[in-house]
Amino acid sequence: MHQDTSDAINAVGLVHSYDGKKNAVDGMTFNVRRGEVFGVLGRNGAGKSTLIKVLTTLIRPTAGKLTILGMDPSHKSEEIRARIGVVQQDESFDFTSVEGNFDIYGVLWGIPKAVRIERRERLLKEFDLLEIRKKRSFDLSGGQKRRAQVAREFMHDMDILFLDEPTVGLDVIMRRNLLDLIKEQVKGGLTVVFTTHNLEEADYLCDRIAVVESGKVIALDTVENLKRLYGGKRTVEFAVEGSSGIELVRAVEQSLNGESTLKVLDDGTALVLTEDPKKALRVVVEASQKLGVQLEWLNVRKNTLEDVFLSSIGEQRSGN
Amino acid sequence: MVLPRVSRLVYRNFKVNTDPASLVILVGLPAMYLVFFGFGFGDLLFIAPGLMAFQSVMAGTVGGGMLWADRRYGMLAQLLVGPFSRLDYLLGIMLTTVIFGLAGAVVMYAVAFALLHGVYISPLGWGSVVVTITVGSLFFGALMLILSALVKSNNTYNSIQILVLFFINFASTVFYPDTPRLPVILQVLFRVNPLSYIANLVRAGFDGTLAPVDVFYLIGLLAGTVILVVLATRTYMRSDISYT
Ligand SMILES: Nc1ncnc2c1ncn2[C@@H]1O[C@H](COP(=O)(O)OP(=O)(O)OP(=O)(O)O)[C@@H](O)[C@H]1O
Ligand SMILES: [Mg+2]
Repeated sequence: MHQDTSDAINAVGLVHSYDGKKNAVDGMTFNVRRGEVFGVLGRNGAGKSTLIKVLTTLIRPTAGKLTILGMDPSHKSEEIRARIGVVQQDESFDFTSVEGNFDIYGVLWGIPKAVRIERRERLLKEFDLLEIRKKRSFDLSGGQKRRAQVAREFMHDMDILFLDEPTVGLDVIMRRNLLDLIKEQVKGGLTVVFTTHNLEEADYLCDRIAVVESGKVIALDTVENLKRLYGGKRTVEFAVEGSSGIELVRAVEQSLNGESTLKVLDDGTALVLTEDPKKALRVVVEASQKLGVQLEWLNVRKNTLEDVFLSSIGEQRSGN
Repeated sequence: MVLPRVSRLVYRNFKVNTDPASLVILVGLPAMYLVFFGFGFGDLLFIAPGLMAFQSVMAGTVGGGMLWADRRYGMLAQLLVGPFSRLDYLLGIMLTTVIFGLAGAVVMYAVAFALLHGVYISPLGWGSVVVTITVGSLFFGALMLILSALVKSNNTYNSIQILVLFFINFASTVFYPDTPRLPVILQVLFRVNPLSYIANLVRAGFDGTLAPVDVFYLIGLLAGTVILVVLATRTYMRSDISYT
């Protein structure tokens, strides 16, 4: 991969192992362009937080090459940290009020008092924290804490913002609000690296997405391309009652002959990701008639990122 | 550029990282002890410098507790992805510890001063008090930092801390003089206990009885402190900053 110094982040073969045996980050290669919102999408334990910790210089890579804002973190980590903002997955607060936390954070970042106050007031308002500004941070609800922690990070200027699952614990409305607020900040040219296991969220916010599984980047592209790349334009879903589902899936798989991707979810629903939904529908219906099984339901819809996610993880698993 | 950064950390430590209730206990309790002695339960002139020295242990406890809490409540990891290095953070705690120890000693002195209607320490005596308490606070700060860096569970941390504090405090010359009347085992404990040397040095400064031999005691204390600070720094720099 070529090294583009204009990239915000450039990682080649990045590895991190906590114990020297298993790699939590296992050879990731990707670049984050300046000004883009870069999503890291993966299931629990995929290695998202470990990646964020490596990228934010909290832990060192075991192997691989990493450049952040054109600098090598192994000897420029302080310079890098002065230019990034990080909202970690775990909560972090000082034992004081919400506004007190904003204030002390501004002091720690060396923000002059006038600017500090102006920012604190603006952020409390924008992130809808005015009513709870005097509350002790440890007395807040989970969602309020999350909002306050994200908001606090904007007390200082930065070139890259890392957000490790910022929307966990937020209700639907607050989640959308928060994403919109982040979008707003990005308009100013901020680069954002954002981890989530929520596909809709990644779809809504991100320019490009890296799908991560078992410490590896298994897909990396724009949301649109990912949807196109993995399994065409439509998804045919079907389910049958009882145990005859497996036979039906096998029969459908045979008839499709590898033209489309077939996935079975944990709840027994089968997905066919296909460029030719008419054919897929016909195959499913014919196979069910031949086997004499009753289809519980059958549906055609546009691909979602979820389908992409599932099918790419499926490929990864079967490739092992 | 390191100093302004460390001073911001010190500011934070005083502003939000010390909870008022425990400060009252840490400084208020010894002060009350002094008041009791002031009402004739003992020798105030003996106990006052002892409790001034004792503030170095209190300061060390506060310092170690800060690292522990910062790791427990996520602020350590947050600070270390911000504009601070691990060393900045450590220096911030050490500096806070020393300031705390000195301030505590001054409070003890002030209480004794009021109770005794004036007790004066010579400039040389003050020099000895300040240097000894500074070094002593670093000694106990480093000891507690090692404990915080190694121990993750709250219960274990508190139990070990109470145990260590118990031995350090009671097998020392803070409260009783080291006389041949003591059981031999206690005499030995008194003499291996660094707090005894801190108390003796502060007391000598307080009483104006500093002798040339005290320089050696101070050097010994300093050497022990350097070793502990190096150990604490290494332990802390290598420790896992996350709380699990
Ligand atoms: N401090 C640690 N020491 C040892 N192993 C760890 C540590 N932190 C994480 N791991 C392991 O590394 C792997 C990746 O964990 P990581 O926290 O990066 O996952 P994640 O994608 O962020 O998951 P989640 O969505 O649950 O936050 C997991 O197998 C985890 O058990
Ligand atoms: Mg995580």
